[in-house]
Amino acid sequence: MSNMTFGKYIPLDSVIHKMDPRSKILAMLILIVAIFFPSGWIGYGVIGLCVFIVVLLSKLNIKIILNAMKPMMMMLIFLLFINTLVIKQGDLLFNIYGYTIYSEAIFQTLYITVRLFLMIMITTTLTATTKPLDLTLGIEDLLSPFKKIGVPSHEIAMLISIALRFIPDLIEETQRIMKAQASRGVDLKEGSFKEKIMAILSLIVPLFISALSRAEDLANAMEARGYSPGKERTRYKTLKMVFKDYVLIASSFVLLIAMIVLSRIYA
Amino acid sequence: MPILFKEVSHIYSEGTPFRYSALTGINLNIKEGKITAIIGATGSGKSTLVQHLNALLLPTSGSVTVFDRVITSDEKPKNLKSLRKDIGLVFQFPEYQLFEETVLKDVEFGPKNFNIENSEEKAKQALKMVDIDASLFERSPLELSGGQKRRVAIAGILAMDPKVIVLDEPTAGLDPSGSKSMMKLFLDLNKKYNKTIIIVTHDMEQVLNYCDEVVVMSEGKIKYESEVKTFFKDSSLCKSLGILPPNVIRLKDELIEKGYKIDDDVMDIKSLVKIISRQVKK
Repeated sequence: MSNMTFGKYIPLDSVIHKMDPRSKILAMLILIVAIFFPSGWIGYGVIGLCVFIVVLLSKLNIKIILNAMKPMMMMLIFLLFINTLVIKQGDLLFNIYGYTIYSEAIFQTLYITVRLFLMIMITTTLTATTKPLDLTLGIEDLLSPFKKIGVPSHEIAMLISIALRFIPDLIEETQRIMKAQASRGVDLKEGSFKEKIMAILSLIVPLFISALSRAEDLANAMEARGYSPGKERTRYKTLKMVFKDYVLIASSFVLLIAMIVLSRIYA
Repeated sequence: MPILFKEVSHIYSEGTPFRYSALTGINLNIKEGKITAIIGATGSGKSTLVQHLNALLLPTSGSVTVFDRVITSDEKPKNLKSLRKDIGLVFQFPEYQLFEETVLKDVEFGPKNFNIENSEEKAKQALKMVDIDASLFERSPLELSGGQKRRVAIAGILAMDPKVIVLDEPTAGLDPSGSKSMMKLFLDLNKKYNKTIIIVTHDMEQVLNYCDEVVVMSEGKIKYESEVKTFFKDSSLCKSLGILPPNVIRLKDELIEKGYKIDDDVMDIKSLVKIISRQVKK
């Protein structure tokens, strides 16, 4: 699990790392919307190329993004299975004892795979190049216009930043408890069903206890330092958009428009 | 030769920017029937080292031999379970692993996993060893005090009846009397039940008073290893390794500086007092 890279910040020195988190979040949102337009293979090719260039600029290892895809594999296989049952269009490819697979089913699955892949590529690039704290500052700023209609932007940002901050801790804690229980003979891979339930229980109970006590400690520490969510707060770090940030947002917009146009042509 | 490390290296997160080399070229021979202390600064690789003993971590290169099982980078020993039964590993703050409804059930958990017969009997014995009263057996482990929880967690390992007991900072966070009785327990286990004991510690007093052998680690390497008596004979050795010697040794050094004549192997306060009083009377 220590090799888990999904959603982890990877400290490197690159143009993308130095960009304003707000522009990166906006660009991500725009691109994800763009992906949802059925713009055909050409469209996805173009988006893929653009995202690939961003990944190259961010100096991230492409393996990290491929690793982030791994957990999706099961879902995609399941999707392929469902699609082969439901979609009966296109050419008949196989017929195994009445179980028929049509080309359209494969095609649709591939389509969704590409979409998912692009989305994961984009979100992984965002989280890998932006410190969790910057990310939440960005979210808070982007949400602040909605304060007027009662969206607690600061609280939301604080919630997200605390959640993000605890992920590595909880992973570490899980590994620690897993090792401690493994030393007591727990084997998550083998054993009967009942033993497996017991093994999972031996992991979850201590994990919950420690997570709850951590949460309590944090709450106390925050209160001890006078944290009060409603109060106006100043920041040590102020975000500032520069030219390259506008370029990123503008080019995402151009891509979005191009996808809309392409999808019209296809339709 | 029960435990032998041969050119063991361990690298965390190989192939990522987080790559971290925790151990390099470790050669170590841990003697059977002794209490061995592993000391060194935080981050020197002590915890990584002990996790190789029951194959929780596999060496990136080199091999670890535990009794007749060989652990290398690409092969886990075939009977992992029996290895983990033989090597009882107690983690830092082991009280976090408690999860069962009652104290007794939690201690039984280990022996049951290893299919040890009369697990309840073993659990009761282990709880007795760590001085937990029978009235607490049916209580929830989460209701106990910190020190009691720690002892119950250690009993959970003792109940497995391991040949080797490995303890990662077992007295961290305990009060002085609690840690003293804890160390006495380990000494007992070693003397009465002939268990091989490995303790990771920062406390030089414990090393001097309870341990037979000492291994000094620094930056993932072994800087020094010998018998405890040889280690503290010459306090300049301690100082060169960046370790503050135990109080008795420091007192002895100061007395020698003042002109008293004290043998190298005097290491306890009683014989020190005897020698000094004799010289003062003269």
